[in-house]
Amino acid sequence: MARPRYVVENSIRAIRFASSEMTQQELADKVGVSRQTINAIEGGKYSPSLEVAFEIARAFNKPLDSVFRSVPVRS
Amino acid sequence: MHASFEEKSVWVQLVCLLVALGGYLVIAGRMMAAGVSELPAYAPLFVAAVVLLVVMLGVGHALALIGSRPEGRDERDRRIDWRAEHGSSWVLAAGVFASITAMVLGVPNVWVAHTLLVSMMLSEVLGLVLKIRFYRLGV
Repeated sequence: MARPRYVVENSIRAIRFASSEMTQQELADKVGVSRQTINAIEGGKYSPSLEVAFEIARAFNKPLDSVFRSVPVRS
Repeated sequence: MHASFEEKSVWVQLVCLLVALGGYLVIAGRMMAAGVSELPAYAPLFVAAVVLLVVMLGVGHALALIGSRPEGRDERDRRIDWRAEHGSSWVLAAGVFASITAMVLGVPNVWVAHTLLVSMMLSEVLGLVLKIRFYRLGV
């Protein structure tokens, strides 16, 4: 039986807007990555390392699993 | 194009490499077809191509600085570098293997040297194309 595959999704865009409409650049500066990297993470084009994922959650003052979640890939 | 300085730098490197070393290979190819078999005869042309490459890289990066401030490399840039190198290094390995085989078979040095040069260039071009793909479509 094939193992189920998972992808990491996130709610960064929604949480940014709920956090006084924080810009991607502001979040990038807090996390220590480029704005393009935040944009790629939001768009699902890049899965960050655990360190950056924790930094993003910390920037929003939220637990990691309220920002990132693993969902099964639909076949 | 809302590209980072890092991504613009990759575009600059790709264009410069294709123009400078591609130009060298076109002219060198004609020289080889004309029967020029002494390797030193290609040296001035090669030096000119390298100087052109360095100048173009300098100008290109200066232009890339306009409109995008360098933010420093982060983990995404490093992962893209690693993935691109992983996907392109086989071309150089194949070129080295082909060059060694050619040397064993007694192929003239000028062909061996240019086989190596072509494989280095193709490996670099493939790596840069892969980087652009990863920057645009995700890694």
